[in-house]
Amino acid sequence: MNTDQLVSAENITYKINDNKLFHNISFFLEKGKALHICGSNGSGKSTLIRIILGITSQTKGDMNIFSEKKICYLGHKNAIKSYLSIEDNLLIMGLTTHSNINKYIDILELRDYLDVIVGNLSFGQQKKVALLRVFLNDSDLIVLDEPFVGLDSDAQNLLNQFLIEELNTKKGLIFTSHIKCEINSKTINLE
Amino acid sequence: MKIFYLEHLKLRKKTRSWLGPILVFSLIMIAYPLTVEFLQTNLEKGFYSLLWISILLSMMLATEDIFLEDFSDGTLEQTIISNTSFPLLIAKKIFIYWLMIGVPISFLSFLFSLSLTQDFNLSLSIFPLSVVSSYIFLNLFVFGNALSLNKGSVLGAIITMPLALPVLIILGKSVIAIEFGINYVEFLLLLLGILSIIITIVPFIISYVIKAHLE
Repeated sequence: MNTDQLVSAENITYKINDNKLFHNISFFLEKGKALHICGSNGSGKSTLIRIILGITSQTKGDMNIFSEKKICYLGHKNAIKSYLSIEDNLLIMGLTTHSNINKYIDILELRDYLDVIVGNLSFGQQKKVALLRVFLNDSDLIVLDEPFVGLDSDAQNLLNQFLIEELNTKKGLIFTSHIKCEINSKTINLE
Repeated sequence: MKIFYLEHLKLRKKTRSWLGPILVFSLIMIAYPLTVEFLQTNLEKGFYSLLWISILLSMMLATEDIFLEDFSDGTLEQTIISNTSFPLLIAKKIFIYWLMIGVPISFLSFLFSLSLTQDFNLSLSIFPLSVVSSYIFLNLFVFGNALSLNKGSVLGAIITMPLALPVLIILGKSVIAIEFGINYVEFLLLLLGILSIIITIVPFIISYVIKAHLE
């Protein structure tokens, strides 16, 4: 096995009630590389991501993750508590003591809303709170499902730039996106 | 310790989730003397049956949304992909619910029992029984809740209700033993035995059930 390898998938097939969602998908991801999973709605992008994360089991095939650290994942669900303030959410996410927390709170313009209940924030602001998990990640594999949805152009550019920098630090990135981004990546098309 | 604090923080901020069951329990207890004959001297007749059933229902209410919100907002997915032990996290979550709902209800059981019977020793014996039984009921209903996570939590709780019946029988026998001055500690030990089995097994079963739901 290549020591730089983070993920390897061989002949992954996923079926729902005898209908094949995708068939014999094989790929691998090395450190410092990105993998873009493309496809139309319902083609199985999120399912493939869940298979990579081990949340969903594939019908056939082998999936191996060689990441030693916790995987950083942001899916369709933000995993933030709508009845808590941003400050409390950061506490739950374990990010309050991170050295860059203040930097990203300022960049994402969340400083004035720290004590506001997340449920009272706009969708875009909630997404920014969830993205703090990505900006302050300590993993060697980042998995994102439609990360640019709901973000304004400034936040999209910031995330784009951040992910490019993360790739330069030898982290791996797997993502799905319908919004065009500048990340240099391999592509899997599930059409 | 951190996870205890965080689970406590989450539950504390959801006032309805912890205060609701305590209020329902209190209302039933307050309503009981009002519904029986005003001049009846032995109000304790039937009181303890109502007490156990009230604890049972309050615990059912307490577990109503224990995993639902974590399931809906994606927190459970984050937990599963993290390196933390999922069964241990579930066990800690149940413990916090018991500490914030079960223990206050047990204390209220003591107070209501004392106010109704004016028998301090009897009421004091009721306290450990309600402490242990509330923890057992909580575990059972959390299991039921996990079973019907995305299909309405009450349904699962009702399915697991029959599992609580043996505990209710033991509680009934314990009260009889206390009233007749017989040593009730055997019954308490039996409940503790049941509890020790339940708190060891239930978190593992629940983690398996939740993972199946997430698939």
